[in-house]
Amino acid sequence: MLLKKFFNVGFADITVAERTPFGLDDLGRYPLFAPDFLEFLRRALPPARHRELVLSIAVTARKPVAAANPAS
Amino acid sequence: MAHFRDDEARSIILGAYGRVRSDGVAVAAAFYGTEELEALPRDAVEMALGVGHPVRHAGLRSGEAVLDLGCGAGIDTLLAARAVGPTGRVVGLDMTPEMVERARRNVEAAGAGNVEIRQALIEEIPLPDASVDVVVSNGVLNLSTRKSRVLAESFRVLRPGGRISITDLVLEEALPEDVLKSPAALAG
Repeated sequence: MLLKKFFNVGFADITVAERTPFGLDDLGRYPLFAPDFLEFLRRALPPARHRELVLSIAVTARKPVAAANPAS
Repeated sequence: MAHFRDDEARSIILGAYGRVRSDGVAVAAAFYGTEELEALPRDAVEMALGVGHPVRHAGLRSGEAVLDLGCGAGIDTLLAARAVGPTGRVVGLDMTPEMVERARRNVEAAGAGNVEIRQALIEEIPLPDASVDVVVSNGVLNLSTRKSRVLAESFRVLRPGGRISITDLVLEEALPEDVLKSPAALAG
């Protein structure tokens, strides 16, 4: 879905350079998340999702040399 | 399906990122090298809240102009500034006043004369068309309810042939509704 957005805007050479599982333990490093929220997630999600809640990805792309700017 | 209106989402994110405090380096240590971190102001390292290392994938060269979308306290902005050198320049954008203030202090502490920090929305980038060589962003695109708009704005400000390097979180499998409706989940 995200890669399609890159394509629709006009980017070329769209590449996923990294793709890493991101789980509850990873979220626990962030001061943005209170312990009670992490506990809520632990209860709300099946154990199978705890280690891979989302994916962390690195995406690179290029604006074509001949590209015109989209109407904004 | 969007669970928050634009203004609701922005208010939640402004609150969360304005209040956040950190005195640890666990996030930065997960993504950056020790030597990179040792050369940066402590506050920029402790307030790293990204999910990867977009500068590593950007292939920055001396003299290039870089835009960091959602620069936070400035860790990627400062790494980009070092990579492009004194003949290059970096603009860091963030909508959170507290983060803009922190980033400016960290830029000053690092003595990075080729960096400008500006308070702005990433959906409305205050730069001219075709004015930067590279756009980087770290864990910020997922916070926007208008991701296509952010990418279109990035495309607009890039010079032809310019690059974008983004690290972010994506869902491969849906989360339960009560998680998706949680403001705390949105802020992350």
